[in-house]
Amino acid sequence: MDGKGKITVRCKDLCKTFYAKNRKQDEENEVIRNLNLEVRENEFLVLFGPGQCGKTTILNLMAGLVEPTSGEIEVNGKKVDGPSKDRGMVYQTTALFPWMSVMKNVSFGPRMQGVKKAEWKKRAQYYIDLVGLTGFEDSYPVKLSGGMQQRVGIARAYCNDPDVIFMDEPFGHLDAQTRYLMEEEIEKICSKEKRTVIFVTNNVEEAIYLADRIVVLTDMPTTVKKEYMIEIPRPRDYTSKQFLSLREEITQCVEISGTFEEAGHGDE
Amino acid sequence: MKTKEKSLALGVGVLAVLSVFLVWYFAASYTKVSLFFPTPQRVFQRFVESLTVPIGKYTLLMHVLYSLKRVFIGFGLSSITGIILGVAMGYSKTVNAIVRPIFNIIRPIPGLAWIPLAILWFGIGETTKYFIIFMGGFANIVLNSFDGTNKVNPTLVGAAELLGANKFQIFTNIILPSAIPYIFAGLQVSLSTSWMAVLAAEMISSYEGAGWIINMGMNTGDTVLILVGMISIAIIGFALANIMRVLERRLCSWTERGK
Repeated sequence: MDGKGKITVRCKDLCKTFYAKNRKQDEENEVIRNLNLEVRENEFLVLFGPGQCGKTTILNLMAGLVEPTSGEIEVNGKKVDGPSKDRGMVYQTTALFPWMSVMKNVSFGPRMQGVKKAEWKKRAQYYIDLVGLTGFEDSYPVKLSGGMQQRVGIARAYCNDPDVIFMDEPFGHLDAQTRYLMEEEIEKICSKEKRTVIFVTNNVEEAIYLADRIVVLTDMPTTVKKEYMIEIPRPRDYTSKQFLSLREEITQCVEISGTFEEAGHGDE
Repeated sequence: MKTKEKSLALGVGVLAVLSVFLVWYFAASYTKVSLFFPTPQRVFQRFVESLTVPIGKYTLLMHVLYSLKRVFIGFGLSSITGIILGVAMGYSKTVNAIVRPIFNIIRPIPGLAWIPLAILWFGIGETTKYFIIFMGGFANIVLNSFDGTNKVNPTLVGAAELLGANKFQIFTNIILPSAIPYIFAGLQVSLSTSWMAVLAAEMISSYEGAGWIINMGMNTGDTVLILVGMISIAIIGFALANIMRVLERRLCSWTERGK
C-alpha cells in the first residue's frame, strides 16, 4: 500500500456506554473507551478482537445506527449523525428483505433514490453477476443457502455505491468450507471494486487472509491494542510461513489480555 | 413415499366420511331417531330441489348469495378500518396510547353481544347486519395488524436506512410487507367469525339468507330444511377459508409457510 492517501473514516476519542435499567439499580455497561482510528481510502481494515468485545457496536456507531456517548466520527470529513446511504453494511446474519427477490434486494438502494429502472437494473445485474448469483435474480432469500444469502447482502451493499462498507462477521454463521470460499470471493470482489471496507471478525485466519491492516482490539471497554500492516502478497496462502508466524503473533497478542467474556451487552 | 402417505390419508378420510353417512343412514332409516332426523337421501334430494324451487321468496342459491353479500360488505368494512387502525397503532406510539385503552374495553365483547343494541340503534334492516358482522371481525384484524407492524425487525429498518430509504419508503417497503402475514392471519380468523355473525344476524331478523333458512326450518319443524341450510353454510364456509388460503399463498410466497 502507498502508506498515505485520503482518510475516509476517522474516529476521535470514541466512547460508548450503554445504560440499562435493571430491576433495582441502573446498570452501566462501558463498551468502548477512547477509541481512535483512521481508515484510508480503499483500505481493507479488519477489526479483530476477542469474543464479544463491542466490535458490532463500533460498526453501528460508525454507521450512525447508534449514537456515541462522547467522541466524534467523521466519514470523508463529514460528521456522522444518523444512518446514510454513504455507508453500507453487510450483516452478521443476513438482513435481506425476505419479501423481495434477489434483484429487488440488490437494487433497493438505487431504487429508493429514484434511479431510473433501466439504470438500476443494469447496476444490480452487474453486482449480481459479480457475486456469482446469475440466474437467481427472481429467487426469494428463503430459497437460498446461507452463503448465497450473504452474497446478496454483499451485492446489495456495493450496488448502493457507498464511501465505506462495514462487514460485521459476515461469514460467522457459515460452515468452514463455505467460509473459505466466501473469503476468496470477497477478495476477488474487493480487488475488482476498490472500496474502503471495515471488516469485523474474531477469526485470525480470516483477518490475515483479507486485511491490508489488522487492528487488534482489547476486551471491554474496547480500545485499540495493536496494529499490524499485512504485506503478504495476494492471493495469500493459509499455510505459508509468513502467514503462520503472523497468525501466531496475533493470537498471542490477543491471548495476553484474554479474559473470559461477559455476557449481555451491546453486541446484538 | 410422500405420495403414498398422502393417498393413504385420503383413503382413510374417505372411509371415515362414508362411515358417518352409513351410521346416519341406518340410524335415520331403522331407529326412532328418524322422527327428528331425516335420511341423507332426503336431505340431498331437498338440497338439489331447492336450487330451483324457492324456499320462501328465493331459491337456495339466492339465499346464500344474500348472506355472502352481507359478509362481504361487513367484512370488507372491518378489514379496511381494522387494518388502518391496527397499522397506525403499531407504527405510532401516540396513536396506540390514545386508542389502546378504548379498544381494550370493547375487545372482550363478542360481536354477537352487539345484536340487541344494533337492533335498537339501526332497526332490523341491513345496517344492523353489517354492524354485527363488522363488530365480529374488527378486533381480530386490529390486533393482528398491530402485532405485525409492531414486530417489524429493527435490523431490517436499519438496513433500509443505510441504503438511503426515507421514512415513507421504509413504511411502504419494509414495515407494511413484513406485517402482511400477520394481517392475513387476522383476516382469516375474522372471515370465519364474520360468516358466523351473519348467520346469527339472519336467524334473529331477516327474510332471506342461509341463517333465515335454518330458522325457518326450526319454526316449521322441518328438519330437512334445517340440514339443507347447515350443509350450504358448511360448503360456503369451507370455500371462503380456502379462497383466503390461496390469496395468502399468492401474497406471501416469500415466507417459509408460503411455498
